[in-house]
Amino acid sequence: MRRALPTLLASAALAVAQQNPPAESQNAPQQPAQNAPQQPAQNAPQQPAQNFPQPAMPFPARPAPGGAQGSGGDQSQSAAPAGGSNFLGKDVPFFDPGSNIASWDGKNWNISNNALFQARFEKFLNAPAATTESDSEYQALLGEIMDKLAPGKITPRSTDEAFQDLAKASRYQQDSHLCDSIASQVYSAWLSRKSNDRLNAASKGLEDERKRLEWNARLTAEATKLEGGGSSKSKEGGPNPQQQQQQLSRDMQMQPIVTRLAEVNALIRANQLKREVAELQVKIDFQSLIVQHFLQRRFQHAVIGTRFYRSIFADGDSQLRIGEDAKNLFAKTSGLPPNMGTIDSLANEIMGDVREAIQAFKFLLEKNELESATKRLAETFMLGEYLPEVRTLAREDKRKALAFVQKSNQLISAIQVKDYSLAEKLVTQLGETAKDFDASKPMAAIETAKQISAMHIAKARNAAVSGDKQTLEAELKAATEIWPRNPSLNEVSKMIFSQADVQSRAMVDFDQLVSQKNYRQVYEDRMRFIAATAMYPEKQEQLRKVLEDMQVIETALIQAQEIEKRGDYAGAWESAEKAFRNFPDDNKLNQVRANLTTKAADFVHAIRQAEELEQKNQPGSSLSWYLKAQNVYPPSDFARQGVERLTKQILPDAT
Amino acid sequence: MRPCDTVIRGVARRSKKSRLPLGIIIAIALILAAFLGSRFFLTATSQPFRTATPLDVQTYLENANSLRGNVYKLEGEVLNSLGWSASKGRLIAVGVDNGRQVVPVLVTTDFSHINIQRGQRFIFLLEVDDKGILRTKDMTKS
Repeated sequence: MRRALPTLLASAALAVAQQNPPAESQNAPQQPAQNAPQQPAQNAPQQPAQNFPQPAMPFPARPAPGGAQGSGGDQSQSAAPAGGSNFLGKDVPFFDPGSNIASWDGKNWNISNNALFQARFEKFLNAPAATTESDSEYQALLGEIMDKLAPGKITPRSTDEAFQDLAKASRYQQDSHLCDSIASQVYSAWLSRKSNDRLNAASKGLEDERKRLEWNARLTAEATKLEGGGSSKSKEGGPNPQQQQQQLSRDMQMQPIVTRLAEVNALIRANQLKREVAELQVKIDFQSLIVQHFLQRRFQHAVIGTRFYRSIFADGDSQLRIGEDAKNLFAKTSGLPPNMGTIDSLANEIMGDVREAIQAFKFLLEKNELESATKRLAETFMLGEYLPEVRTLAREDKRKALAFVQKSNQLISAIQVKDYSLAEKLVTQLGETAKDFDASKPMAAIETAKQISAMHIAKARNAAVSGDKQTLEAELKAATEIWPRNPSLNEVSKMIFSQADVQSRAMVDFDQLVSQKNYRQVYEDRMRFIAATAMYPEKQEQLRKVLEDMQVIETALIQAQEIEKRGDYAGAWESAEKAFRNFPDDNKLNQVRANLTTKAADFVHAIRQAEELEQKNQPGSSLSWYLKAQNVYPPSDFARQGVERLTKQILPDAT
Repeated sequence: MRPCDTVIRGVARRSKKSRLPLGIIIAIALILAAFLGSRFFLTATSQPFRTATPLDVQTYLENANSLRGNVYKLEGEVLNSLGWSASKGRLIAVGVDNGRQVVPVLVTTDFSHINIQRGQRFIFLLEVDDKGILRTKDMTKS
């Protein structure tokens, strides 16, 4: 938890920056920088000419920086809008160091993996090292100030010198006028102290006047007692008129004295109260500034502020009087009492920690362990972005980390957009550049996604083959959602689309051939139509009927050809004729039948004559022809059936 | 020269070469005529239904309806029995013209006493009924 608080504070600062990005360059440095020179310039010459109530300062009308220090912690709480303070959200921030997840105000985010942090970190990694002469002078100046204010070395003179150095430090660009704000606050505190001295002087004068008035009152009372000692009472036993007159005169003398005495007492109490309130206000303003610097990770400025604070308010009262939320930030997360000492020690500890982390980063970089090095640098940067050890880091070293960070971010993006091909390539590259890169997690994610996608594609293929359109769509959708840029998906889609094209063309051909009764062509292309009608049950049924009929035709043709080979032309013709009567539109059958007709002309003629006469209701002649046909080709079914049929007609009761 | 003159001169030469008696020739001619006449007479008187017209099978095959009501004579060989009805008789296939043509003949119940078997030859006196069926009016073995 020692590291948790600084990290949390740093993340808090980031979040504050997120809500109000240029915080460090707007509110903190500018306001004091503008007000500081003006306030002393305006007020300082005027105040001595004013009456003592004037230094009461405008504290009720001007809220303290940060918005939580209006008039002490309790007041700030009561002044907060309904629902709680809005200084640091409604809840105390919580940081889980195990997962780097910070929870704050109902929101969770990874402190090292968010857009703002990444942007700032990349900017830092690309920035040159702050090793210019100006940077060195600035850092030396800050070190000198801290040294002058260090416990054990601090003297009124060194304090004055440190105060003068603040003005010098604020001239540097990298200071962002933060030293100005500290100087302004120190100056305000000193003015407050001077005002208190004047109040004390005024109070002393009032005290003298009070003593004088009390003396006068006592003398007046005693004089009255002496005057009234001789004449005691009137004849009637009550006070005589003379006494009454004297009492009235005494009362009239005492009245202004008592009135003035009351006024003086009230003024003394008022001055006392004003002095206490003014000092408290200055303390609150100062503490707010220090806490603000701490949260902005300007730890050097926070240390300088605490040391000035202690030198100014040497009464031993270092308790933080900022809002409860801010106090809880220190108290509940560090377990330390919320006072100036806590801030000072935390800031010093963080600066030491940052120094160690930078050394660790350099060592890891030497060992080519870029992942750890980058993580340490990111953590260190988040904490000590403005500390000299971080600012002076060599750009070459940072660029190495930058390359790793860029690829890592690219990997995260690739996984987020489910581009697993790119992600796999990046994992390989990262593994080559960073010895300590742990590829297990990304590879597990990549492989799992690939495998699930492949399973869905396999199911989609099966569904396409079986004609299950719904499953096909569902599986393709699932595969696309898991791995949108899966190359196999593209191939399958192309295959299905081309298949769909072939299929639709085949379906058009099928319908056309069926309408033309060209079942022979359907039979010839049956494989194409079987595949094409796979997803259309009604077409499938139609095709099945066509193929069954064609099977009958083909069987008849084969049979006719076999019979013909034996020289039995009548039998061959009869076989073809049987099929022809059921399927008169088949060209091949028709052709074979025609050929056989010429070869079995007598038989065919007899059968046709018989049928024709039968239709003309001439059973005698018809039967003669059937008998003739039967005589020519005894096994003829046509002749036999015709004879039986006509015999039955002639002899209905024949047995 | 005309052709008839040549014939006359030829006959004259033959008559000179073979002078057979004219009486012998006439006798032979008479004998021959008597023989042939007797043969014709015997044949004509022994053939049944000689007055009936033979059935023109070809016409029957083409349009039996045109022959309805007529009575014809037909001689043929029984090829097959097509059916038998107790009320109407037996329908048989008769081969004519050496089996080149086959016609159905309905042997009515009037001739139930005749055993009709395949290969037998019969002479039928047939009537073409209203449906063109050849019904036997008479029949006899040939």
